[in-house]
Amino acid sequence: MEFLNPAWLYSLLLLPLLLIPYLIRRRPRRVVFSSVLLMREFAARVSADRSGVPPIFFLHLLILALLLLSLGEPSFPSRLLTVALVLDNSASMQAVEDGRSRFQAALGEAGRILRALPAGARVDVYLLAPRLAEIGEPALAPAQALAVLSRQKPLDVGERALDHGAEFSRLARERGYERLYFVTDHAAAGQNGNVRVVTVGRQQNNLAVTSLQLSRPLFNSPQLDARVEVRSFSAAEEKFTLNIKGGGRIIASRSYAVAPGKSAAAIFDSLPAYPFYEAEIASNDALTLDNRRFAVPPPAGGVKILAVSPRPEALASLRAIPGVELQVVAPEVYAKGDFPPHALEIFQYSAPATLPDNSALFILPPAENPLVRVGAGSAKAGVTGWREPHPLTRYVNFALFRPPYARPLKLGRTGEAIIQSSDGALAVAAEQKNFRYLALGFDPLPFLGRQNLPMSIFTLNVLEWLSAAQSRAIATGAPLAAGLRAGENLLAPDGQRVDLGANSAALYQGIYRVEGNGARYLAVNFDDVAESDLRATAPVQLRDEAGAPAERSLAALIWPYLSIIGLLLLLAEWLIHPLPIWRWKREPAQ
Amino acid sequence: MLPAPFTAEFLNRLEVLRLRTRKEVLGNGPGVYSSPRRGTSLEFADYRKYSPGDDLRYVDWGIFARTDRLYVRLFREEVDLFAYVFVDASASMAFPSVTEKFSAACNLALALSYVVLANHDHVRLHSLNEAPAASPFLRGRNRIVDLIDFTAGIEPAGAPDLAVSLGAHLRRVRRPGKAILLSDFLVPADSYQKGLNLLRAFNLDIAAIQVLSRSELEPPLSGELRLIDSESREELNIRWNEATRRAYRERLERHNRELKSYCHQSGIHYSMYRTDEDLTDFVLKALPTMGLFK
Repeated sequence: MEFLNPAWLYSLLLLPLLLIPYLIRRRPRRVVFSSVLLMREFAARVSADRSGVPPIFFLHLLILALLLLSLGEPSFPSRLLTVALVLDNSASMQAVEDGRSRFQAALGEAGRILRALPAGARVDVYLLAPRLAEIGEPALAPAQALAVLSRQKPLDVGERALDHGAEFSRLARERGYERLYFVTDHAAAGQNGNVRVVTVGRQQNNLAVTSLQLSRPLFNSPQLDARVEVRSFSAAEEKFTLNIKGGGRIIASRSYAVAPGKSAAAIFDSLPAYPFYEAEIASNDALTLDNRRFAVPPPAGGVKILAVSPRPEALASLRAIPGVELQVVAPEVYAKGDFPPHALEIFQYSAPATLPDNSALFILPPAENPLVRVGAGSAKAGVTGWREPHPLTRYVNFALFRPPYARPLKLGRTGEAIIQSSDGALAVAAEQKNFRYLALGFDPLPFLGRQNLPMSIFTLNVLEWLSAAQSRAIATGAPLAAGLRAGENLLAPDGQRVDLGANSAALYQGIYRVEGNGARYLAVNFDDVAESDLRATAPVQLRDEAGAPAERSLAALIWPYLSIIGLLLLLAEWLIHPLPIWRWKREPAQ
Repeated sequence: MLPAPFTAEFLNRLEVLRLRTRKEVLGNGPGVYSSPRRGTSLEFADYRKYSPGDDLRYVDWGIFARTDRLYVRLFREEVDLFAYVFVDASASMAFPSVTEKFSAACNLALALSYVVLANHDHVRLHSLNEAPAASPFLRGRNRIVDLIDFTAGIEPAGAPDLAVSLGAHLRRVRRPGKAILLSDFLVPADSYQKGLNLLRAFNLDIAAIQVLSRSELEPPLSGELRLIDSESREELNIRWNEATRRAYRERLERHNRELKSYCHQSGIHYSMYRTDEDLTDFVLKALPTMGLFK
């Protein structure tokens, strides 16, 4: 016999409480009476038969036990032959408790489930991350399924925000599973006839490095500033040491304390140049994965720009900026040209047919461009609003920012308005596939330096923002190919070459080495605060869905019969003893 | 201020009553109660031979004419009454409350005392508790106030033995008269019999009035109880249900029957006063029926 709702079995512990009303009622009240002379005779006789509880107590006990037992929904176990086992291999399963990880505990639970299955059972094994997918051959024997599971390890990716209960219910219905086991660190809420959630792990305190940003204080400056943010998912104040590593060595270290549920930010100035950096907190919390974060510095020593314009005179002024290497070509040359690698592309009064595999700036693009829609007519050049804070608007005094001519832009499917006028957006920024794109409804060129300080600062912001795109870290679970150009190969942090097939996602955090047109690095970080918070994971919402093919027949369920028997006994008790114990009125004490 | 039941009408009706005695009493002055002594009342008692010096007015000349012998007529002496009202002031008289039982008993005692006072007889109120106290002999209607003050000062407490307590009071009784004992008599038969016998030994004409509250006649109890005796503090565990209620009622009736029977055999007036009963009705109807009043 098994219980569909075993949590209710704990309520059986309440059965002894039934004694309380009897004990209360049996405890003699102290009453003062004028004289007990006349009661001595029969008082002795009454005291003799005070032992034991009345027979009605046992009937009440039986009724209560039956009703509580029926709440646990007992049923006869059917012979399960088609079973699915979904193993949670998301990042939070790496949390260590009592010397072993949640994932190891989950494997233990999965083994226990599989060993309990009959020999003829067939098992399909699924992993939850990066997306719910079947692994191994379908319809494995329990022993084979166990072997498949034992080869798995948790990934550095979070779970997709899905309604697991509904998804598993659908999966069980579509694939005809008699039982789907989900072994996870989530609790279950509700119940489902086919889906069983097996929970491992408990609430834990944790610290996580949630941000590591490297920036240059000035455009093309050789120095680097690092900003690190650490968030506490603990119930108490946590003290930790924050280390900044460059090239694998600690180059800066500080100690901090962070209040429960709060974040602490640290800024490290003037860091020496290294190909990549790592922020690490020295803490023995449950999840070590989110104690580290990686970053690659923005390029230094010059920005190679490919500029496309029918009128290149103004573009040439960019050469006045130190570190800028500019190659200007005509639009028709760009269409058929093959150019050396460059950090970004500028399209002035022109646009390619598709978005280039590079970060790009579109200055007054024509109506036929792949990024934004261009409004009709000219716009009033007055700026009415801008995004704040944003790297593109940093240090720009928009009170003095007056482009001589402007055309309004309209947002396409992607992008956000950075600068707005009364007629529409003047600057629209978008990010796709790890590249950044910016469309301007005005022409910031020529670069005049101090003669037009707001526009010059804005131009430098644009160049820095666009050129920094290639050093941007990507999150685990995101496609790796997005950060690569054609012809580039990728080596994982463990030195293995990464197979960049379709939709190849970053499964592990760390520094990836990009080989191709010169070596560079790509930082991949675990970035999921929901996984880092080990205190209270969202429960899996299970719902009983009518019409499930593997729904149990009423014959297999015992609890309706138990409920009916309990209610009939209750009715009988009521007929025997019209006043239940909780309604017995007491006479006022004298 | 008189207690509530003592309305002007009730007092008027009390004033027409007079205690009846079945024994001759020794009074202190002229009254209406027969005395064993010979006196000057109109009620003939006996003859005796004339002796020189006898008042010639009492010579029965008719006998002299028939027998030629001189006899003088003797008349009974009629004296006033000395009444002793004993009020049980043990702790059981405070059950279920002082107001409900003890005050009712005191009101009854005051009503009886008022009857005595109104007839210019003597009355003394005695409280039967561990520290026996008694009022002085009082006479005259206006002295009812003193009796009220006396009863107000009594607090029912303790568990005095009825016989011992009565004995302490009787040491001060010099004149036979009327004794009225008000008690719940919820004591063993030996105890009340010993007490009543003591009163009889002092040649007192006795009336016993049993005072019981409704809570004693029909206890409002239920369930598992630990009953504590209000006097002895004895504890009894009991399950109070219909069977025990019935058994208690039977036992109480038997106890009261034994008391009544003993009083009847001993020439003692007996009556039971339920405290929820109207005092006026009890005094003006029940007590005359039992022969307490003339």
